[in-house]
Amino acid sequence: MTAVAFSPRVFRTSEFTLGVVAFAGFVGLTIATSGNMLSAGTLAAFFRFLAVPMVIGLAQMVVLAIGQMNLSVGVLTGFCAMASAWLMIEAGLPAWLAVLAALALGALVGLVNGLLVVFTRINAFIVTLATMTIIEGLRYGVHGPDTFQDYSPGLVRLGRASILGLPVVFVVAVVVAIGVGLFFARTVAGRHLLASGGSPFAARLSGVSNDRSILLAHALSGLLAGVAAVLTVALSGSVNASIGDDLLLPSFAAPIIGGVALAGGVVSVTGTCLAAFLVRLVDVARAQFGIGQQWVDLIVGAVVLGVVLIGAVRGKLASRPSRPATSAGSSRRTS
Amino acid sequence: MILSASGLVKTFPGVRALDGASLSLAAGSVHALLGENGAGKSTLVKILTGVYRPDGGTIELDGKPVHFTGPLDALRAGIGVVHQERNLVTEFSVAENIVLHHLPRRFGVVRRSRVRDEARRCLDLLDLDLDPDAPVSTLSVAQAQLVEIAKALSVDNRVLLLDEPTASLTGDEADRLYAIVRKLTGSGHAVVLVSHKLEEVFAVADTVTVLRDGRSVAEGQPLSAYTRDEVVDLMVGRAHAAVSLAARTPLSSDAAALSLTDVATSYGHADVSFDVAPGEIYGLYGLVGAGRTELAKALLGLGSVTAGTVSVHGTPVRISGVGEALRRHRIGYVTENRKEEGLFLEQPITRNIGVTVWHRLTRLGLIRDRAEASLVDDYRQRLGIRLATPKQLAGQLSGGNQQKVSLAKWLAADCGILIVDEPTVGIDVRTKAAFHELIAGLAGQGMAILLISSDLPEIVTLADRIGVMAGFRLRGELPNDGDYERMSQSIIRLIHTPLIPAAPH
Repeated sequence: MTAVAFSPRVFRTSEFTLGVVAFAGFVGLTIATSGNMLSAGTLAAFFRFLAVPMVIGLAQMVVLAIGQMNLSVGVLTGFCAMASAWLMIEAGLPAWLAVLAALALGALVGLVNGLLVVFTRINAFIVTLATMTIIEGLRYGVHGPDTFQDYSPGLVRLGRASILGLPVVFVVAVVVAIGVGLFFARTVAGRHLLASGGSPFAARLSGVSNDRSILLAHALSGLLAGVAAVLTVALSGSVNASIGDDLLLPSFAAPIIGGVALAGGVVSVTGTCLAAFLVRLVDVARAQFGIGQQWVDLIVGAVVLGVVLIGAVRGKLASRPSRPATSAGSSRRTS
Repeated sequence: MILSASGLVKTFPGVRALDGASLSLAAGSVHALLGENGAGKSTLVKILTGVYRPDGGTIELDGKPVHFTGPLDALRAGIGVVHQERNLVTEFSVAENIVLHHLPRRFGVVRRSRVRDEARRCLDLLDLDLDPDAPVSTLSVAQAQLVEIAKALSVDNRVLLLDEPTASLTGDEADRLYAIVRKLTGSGHAVVLVSHKLEEVFAVADTVTVLRDGRSVAEGQPLSAYTRDEVVDLMVGRAHAAVSLAARTPLSSDAAALSLTDVATSYGHADVSFDVAPGEIYGLYGLVGAGRTELAKALLGLGSVTAGTVSVHGTPVRISGVGEALRRHRIGYVTENRKEEGLFLEQPITRNIGVTVWHRLTRLGLIRDRAEASLVDDYRQRLGIRLATPKQLAGQLSGGNQQKVSLAKWLAADCGILIVDEPTVGIDVRTKAAFHELIAGLAGQGMAILLISSDLPEIVTLADRIGVMAGFRLRGELPNDGDYERMSQSIIRLIHTPLIPAAPH
């Protein structure tokens, strides 16, 4: 989110490449649909259903920032959505309180993920694989396979409303993205997170607590899953326990296509959002031309692979000093 | 000549590591490859063994040009190497490690008995009595080193490169290693020996190549043609009169800034006592593995102090981590391992320097980028950091500039006590001198500096007093009179003095 002087360097960033591709894709799709993309209804729907993929991508990104993964973001979104719907319908809570509760629940579950990683020292992939399974069960526990509907008409109306021609849910997603961007670019905690992700050894020797970074990243990831849940509840007007099932792959696709390093230490909010935009374009193309879902999955999968490959090639071309490969079990000496 | 390389060039961003280096190697001889830190020795070794590809120059094996595509390729061509870093799979057995590159197979299945036989043959070659089935993780450092050599010999090599093979060995172990080297050359092998230890080099090598700033300044000469001083002159490139720094007068030491009394640590230190006054440079000398870095880490709370007292400005303290050391006691630690522990290589210089002070640069919870930028600019000028832009990634800087960045973050944090660990490892001679002046200047401003170094000239140039550490104990303390010959002799003598029980205070 930092202002960048308009210099040739900008053209070489992966965000710029993505932006060009996204724009070209949008124009291409507009032409292919004879301008149908630009009709008010289609355009609004396009951005309305971009909100959740954006936020879920960011939820994964904050954990990737410390070089870890959160496999439970998808089901957690579903769980928070079900919980807030239950609070409104069964417990009779006002919508605003249910929204806050969903956010708090997401953050809390994320924090538990973080605590498990810190105290057990078990790899986050395994920890969140386990919690994913647990949360999946909890998600069904709220209301079985049944659907909640007819909750807070106000919230649902907000989910369909627009400000200045842009869907409210999309505006919320953009505001959240700006917040996450500011967090990483300008706050001490955000930069400590990146420091821990970039080099935990150097972070520790610079006075940064890696454990605190891990806790914060997971809690924030949970909170963002909570945001995605609230957006889903507002958007759809009805929720059931299958919500979140199809969010795990998109949660990884957006940051990875967006140029976020799996190893940690480097994030890109702009890239993640642009990548979510691209994936959404593919989805719209599918709807427009009746392409099978299997083709969409194939395309998204291929794009993820392609981006990782391009990243690797770029890395080589940048001709950094090549590090000698050391075997997996090599030990290091200190004096 | 078995192996000859000429005109090798290798450039990394910001550094020309090799600039026309040459080397040639005859069968049945030990060839010493010498040079100061950063002269390009390791790069040359890595090119000869296929780890790096040269940007220019030629390598010939038996008179035929070769281009190695990778380490395995070089190994198959008959060039074995023992790198400075350990390259063993610690979970595997000794035998499996030795034959790792060419596991004997039948129908794709590894033949365990053959693995053991092969390994035993290599171990016998070195007269090593090790259990081939023992996991490498159970071996001592010295044993692991010898396993590396056995591994390098497991292929029918004619050329063997040893990069600092005795850095972690005792005198006896080193003697045994060199006996083996002699045996190998006797059977027609050619050995390249990279070592800092000139006594060893002169005892064992036949010919020598000296690298300076990436060039060969002496190539393939018989070592007997030189005296030790001449070799050192070649390495340094000037008559190595001790660098004389402007005389400093340490501030009167009414209260020590940092003082240790009978300190023992979880790493195994015992009875360590010394103090550092404001304005003083206390040198802590010792060889690799003496326990100096561990002592620093224990002081910072990364290990723990199990007995004795650590005091900062007269007050006993217990420090639980670097954050506390920095914020409460204003202690900074410049690590010896800047690439892994000192810098965030993938992040801009600004962040590498700002990391210790961000909490002081915020307004309304947001870090002011401009304050950070002006901080970086300030230290860029004060330390003479050569950078393209402050947004440049730290990983793209040269070694010397990286080290300056690694230091700058502690200066920015306004440390009163600075622990500097091997500050000039891998840094060229000129930058090294600049660094020495910088450290002396900091002490001149009243900073208490604990200088950890295994570089004798460095410690004699800089330190006011020198503590000598070996085996996790302080063997003695010497006031520095600046006479290099006398000081280095006293220090070496202290290291080799057997431990006498500490006298009660």
